[in-house]
Amino acid sequence: MSHRSLTRRTFLAGTGFVALAKAVPAPAWAVGAAKVGTAAPGFTSTATTGQPVSLGDYRDKTVVLEWTNHDCPYVRKHYETGNMQTLQKEATGQGVVWLTIISSPPGAQGHVSAGEADALTKKRNASPSLVLLDPNGAVGKMYGATNTPHMYVVDRAGTLVYAGAIDDRPTSRKADVEGAQNYVRAALADVAAGQPVKTPITRAYGCTVKYL
Amino acid sequence: MRIAMGGVVVRVLVAALLLAGGASVALAAADAPEPRVRVELVSEVSEIPAGRSFWIGLRQRIEPGWHTYWKNPGDSGEPPRIEWTPPPGFTLGEFAWPHPDRIRVGPVMSYGYSGEVVLPIPVSAPRDLVPGARVTLRGQASWLVCEKICIPEEAPVALTLPVTSGEPRPDARGAALIATARRAVPVPSPWPASFSATRETVTLSVAAPDLASERIAEVAFYPAGWGAIENAAPQHVRGGTAGLTLELARGPLPNALSGPLEGVLVVAEKLDGGVARHAFVVSASPIAGAGALSLLAALTLALAGGVVLNLMPCVLPVLSVKTLALVRHADGHALTLRRHGFVYTAGVLASFAVVAGVLLTLRAGGAQLGWGFQLQSPVFVTLLALVLFTLALSLSGVLVIGGRFTGAGQMLAGRAGYAGTFFTGALATVAATPCTAPFMGAALGYAVTQPWTTALLVFEALGLGLALPFLILTLLPAWRRALPAPGAWTVRLQQLLAFPLYATVAWLVWVVSQQAGPQGVAAALAGLLVIGFAGWLYQTSRGAQARWRRAATLAAIALAAVSVALGTLAGAASAGRVATTSAGWEPFSAARLAELRAAGKPVFVNVTAAWCITCLVNERVALGSRAVSDAFARNGITALKADWTRRDPSITQVLGAFGRNGVPLYLVYPAGAGRPPAVLPQILSETIVLNALDKETP
Repeated sequence: MSHRSLTRRTFLAGTGFVALAKAVPAPAWAVGAAKVGTAAPGFTSTATTGQPVSLGDYRDKTVVLEWTNHDCPYVRKHYETGNMQTLQKEATGQGVVWLTIISSPPGAQGHVSAGEADALTKKRNASPSLVLLDPNGAVGKMYGATNTPHMYVVDRAGTLVYAGAIDDRPTSRKADVEGAQNYVRAALADVAAGQPVKTPITRAYGCTVKYL
Repeated sequence: MRIAMGGVVVRVLVAALLLAGGASVALAAADAPEPRVRVELVSEVSEIPAGRSFWIGLRQRIEPGWHTYWKNPGDSGEPPRIEWTPPPGFTLGEFAWPHPDRIRVGPVMSYGYSGEVVLPIPVSAPRDLVPGARVTLRGQASWLVCEKICIPEEAPVALTLPVTSGEPRPDARGAALIATARRAVPVPSPWPASFSATRETVTLSVAAPDLASERIAEVAFYPAGWGAIENAAPQHVRGGTAGLTLELARGPLPNALSGPLEGVLVVAEKLDGGVARHAFVVSASPIAGAGALSLLAALTLALAGGVVLNLMPCVLPVLSVKTLALVRHADGHALTLRRHGFVYTAGVLASFAVVAGVLLTLRAGGAQLGWGFQLQSPVFVTLLALVLFTLALSLSGVLVIGGRFTGAGQMLAGRAGYAGTFFTGALATVAATPCTAPFMGAALGYAVTQPWTTALLVFEALGLGLALPFLILTLLPAWRRALPAPGAWTVRLQQLLAFPLYATVAWLVWVVSQQAGPQGVAAALAGLLVIGFAGWLYQTSRGAQARWRRAATLAAIALAAVSVALGTLAGAASAGRVATTSAGWEPFSAARLAELRAAGKPVFVNVTAAWCITCLVNERVALGSRAVSDAFARNGITALKADWTRRDPSITQVLGAFGRNGVPLYLVYPAGAGRPPAVLPQILSETIVLNALDKETP
């Protein structure tokens, strides 16, 4: 009898340890709380239109997050070849929400005002659903965005299903766009087909995000 | 412009031009008037040797504050490359990457180079070249250079050299640059490495027991690829008797750790004159099963492992005997029996708590230990052999200690019997130490990477598993009815069970032979002999007159003490382990040096120690090379190796004579009696050694 209750107590103590381990806050260096395969962290930011935007606004929609810095040579590779714009048109045409996020703080490369951001969109013939301004880097750090471009895909259930590079050619050479395997396009196709994303995590490449 | 304008002004200007529109885009790239990196090709030879291989290098001189990238650039960035248009027959290899630095930009960690770096490139020249003809190696180099902003740059690079059919003349400047760069290229790690991982952490262990941790200034691990570890996370390094341990944060790529963890370990070692950095290629193999263990899985595995321990040759006899004692008292009260079950379990759990406590305390103190750490001490191993031997003798019936252990059944009903049962639990734990059950490795590998509370829990689960079969037997007495009635068979079985114990003793003596050599074995065997004699003395004096009996008992105890002392001696013998000497090197002695010098013979003295990384690397990259041993032979040089691993005073004297109090020290004594030796730098390359040998012993 006494033996049985002892065992149960030991077991409870064990589960207590598990709970304790999970409650430990993420260490200070941990840039990203976002983890592929788990719920994408919710955020609220401001669009260039002035409206507040939350990830939660797009429940039941597939969302693409694109970190950008228009002066970064790697971003320019994809905009000056029209690669990024083509992908944006394709995605938004299928009802995907495309959020372009700028995390450069004032004074750093890539920082723009709302007006400048809209002018860039127009000039580059880009078609994001919205451009978000994240000058204090809060959203960027929440997602662990280290590069521009750095791409994320959130499925309709709100799960982060892709994080990483736009494609498999980690260079700034425009000639490398041709023939590259586009991970974001592949992830969106998998999500549309209701299948798990085949390549869910890749090494992002590009310029570092210019956090404060 | 370069002088007139600060970098900031240029950058602002470039940024402004970039903002002005797409037309100015080219400015930031290849055509930028002010490259952040100036590149050139350098060569170790000033002539191309037909049909042979040689090294050239891409030299990057990087503007202060900016950096270029290693082969794994880290969280962002891109490694440099060259697209060659090689002359016919020439092969240009990949870069031999010198080890990088950690470069932090905000929360992002890059691996790269700042200031200046030379990336060595192996070239092999074809045989059919015309001597005197000039050959140009030409390519287009491209690289990314970053400060806060990143700029891709590129430039054509070319190197024109005449062909020679003979020995090529060295290029003094290029040879020095390339030698320095190749010295920074990681060499294969001489130490085995392993890692274990949890969902959050990766623990990399480098089994380098010889390293003296007080000499190590800094350690950093650079992963070969992306995703296995978090680049930006701090790396917690611990040094201990078993080597180095690095606690790393696990990276985002789930299957990055399904194979070995590859990378480069850079160890900064304090030397007499400063700090030397050494880079090693590490391929750490996973510790089986420890990868994705949850606490619950670890506890289950530990429990199962504990149960399996009962079947091990070192534990089975101990428990069988105890169980037989129960059989003899098949009529014992169920309640008493149950109490014994719990007391035994308590004995096991308490002993495990002690072992785990010692282990965790030592680990907290920086020692790198695992389960079975006790077995690293020849003293412990010998003492364990003596205890198990005594036990085996008593099972064989040679010795009956106060009727207490084997006859524990008699005391089963009595109060004193509980102490014996508790002791049996402790004994089972001690006896279990040398046996590693199949499930234990993974669970304990997990435990030692966890906080102490969790670790203790896993250890106790193991203990509970060990105690469980016996506990169940005491709780369910019905099984005893299935056994034949107690009789002669129990005695036979008991005698038979002595043999697994003898086998364990034999194995332990073999372990001692590995740890402490012949002296250790001699001490252990003498200890066993004394135990045997003490047992016989004790046993035969039974039934003798009381004073004889008392004298014999005292003598037996004294002899047991002697055997323990002999066991300790086995440990002392381990200090006498001789470091292995490598081929071509004679052990140093002052007399031998004096004799060679008196004869006017040239001598190379290598003062080294097993715990000195710089020494090790020098031996690997320079002294151990074919060219150097050929040069020794050609010039008739005697190579003396002075091993200071054990702080030999005669070697300390040599060091003192040259104003040193630490290794390495390299001396080249030229031919001719009485001439003073040349002292080589503490960090050697093949070129340095060959040049010194040529100069001092032409």
